[in-house]
Amino acid sequence: MRQHLIELVLFSTYAELRAETARSYLGLVWWVLEPAMMMAAFWLVFDVILKTGGPDYLPFLLIGMTLWQWMKSCITHGGYAIWSALPMVRQVRLPPLVFPLVAMLSDTVKFFFIFLLLLVILWAMGYPPNRAYWALPVLFFAIFLAAAGAGFIVAALVPLVPDLRFVIEQVLMVVMFLSGVIFPLDKVPAHLRWVMELNPVAVVMDDARGILMHGQLPNWIGFGKVCLIAVVLCGVGMLVVRQLAPRFPKLAS
Amino acid sequence: MSELLIELEQVGVAFHAQRSIGGGRYWALEHVDLQLRRGERLGVIGRNGAGKSTLLRVLAGILVPDRGRVRRAPVSCQLMSLALGFLPHLSGRDNAVLSGLLLGLRRRDIIARLPAIHEFSELGDFFDQPIATYSVGMNMRLAFSVALQVEPDVLLIDEVLAVGDAEFQEKSGAALRARMGEGHTVVLVSHDEAQIAERCDRVLWIEHGRSVAEGPRDEVFAAYHRDFHHAVAAA
Repeated sequence: MRQHLIELVLFSTYAELRAETARSYLGLVWWVLEPAMMMAAFWLVFDVILKTGGPDYLPFLLIGMTLWQWMKSCITHGGYAIWSALPMVRQVRLPPLVFPLVAMLSDTVKFFFIFLLLLVILWAMGYPPNRAYWALPVLFFAIFLAAAGAGFIVAALVPLVPDLRFVIEQVLMVVMFLSGVIFPLDKVPAHLRWVMELNPVAVVMDDARGILMHGQLPNWIGFGKVCLIAVVLCGVGMLVVRQLAPRFPKLAS
Repeated sequence: MSELLIELEQVGVAFHAQRSIGGGRYWALEHVDLQLRRGERLGVIGRNGAGKSTLLRVLAGILVPDRGRVRRAPVSCQLMSLALGFLPHLSGRDNAVLSGLLLGLRRRDIIARLPAIHEFSELGDFFDQPIATYSVGMNMRLAFSVALQVEPDVLLIDEVLAVGDAEFQEKSGAALRARMGEGHTVVLVSHDEAQIAERCDRVLWIEHGRSVAEGPRDEVFAAYHRDFHHAVAAA
């Protein structure tokens, strides 16, 4: 049973990526071109025109955007996955977690392509590979757990209340601005700092920039707290999906 | 008497009438009793909206009843679904694997059956083309050929007996008849009495979500017809 589900998730991920590349003329190129265009737009507005950033602003922004886009796509694509699979949910008995998981895995595959591009750009800008790189997989794992947890919760709720879709994008935008993705958070008043230290997105942003730009390992205590939050979030997400599972086959899409 | 595979006792399933705050519920199934034994070919009859398809989805384990009891031996039950999970930009071959996995087959089993699927679907070189290029008929041929490969302990069929052009309809009908004749346990839902009469040996008649009669085919059909004539006469 379990092996069958693993086969199903892996093949579905492959099928989704394959179908997506076949849908457009440039196919695979878009995986990298689309985020590159968005990064260029942000760089143009915030660095070239508004001159918000300092000397390190461009790598700061690129790292932030790359990681954020991955998290965001896991939460939104994963979050809408059960809802869009409702016609299938009515036809076949499968654990509903399969659907968000497939969406998240295919976004993660795309993220790795974009991340490779990011590394090349960083090297070209004078941030060569360093020893702290070994911490990246650990960081990625924590990010995936947290994003998957949030995505599972959204995935469980959207089929019941599809109206949530109109709210989620806005909430994510607020989270993005409050997590130092685009601007550094050095203007946050001192009495609110502790909130930022528990915001998993803000912490992993800092840690990733430390590794990639300064060869600096994460502060393991702070990172440990974030991991704990990620594990709890993921557990809660899986539980919510499992609890609400009997209701999905009865819903109209 | 052969082994009891699934037993339903006073099973009811409720749906929400619409997606609004405070929307009421309605019972698609109110009170259904059913015993399914190994090797049986059970037909489910009843008028439109009687709850036949809902019952099939309870048997498949997709819907969990809101009241009553389902007892189930450790067997696989699968609803025969056509074109499940098909993605238009994927080749016929990849779609066959994907659909087969969704229908509960292991990957190596589908790979082993790909030649059979290829042959039965009569798709030729199109098998490796994206199914977006297929005609409706070709699509259904592929869908049926995949669905035919699934061999659960209990096969549940909801009116999918005839697909494609006349020639393929005959071929698919024959393949399905052969499958049903192999001693598999089958539950067939249809409002075409002739199909049920031809293919099933036991019949369950449900009306307004309640089981009215269950038993040997001819007895249940006789009662069904008597009731139907009463209803017509009363009108």
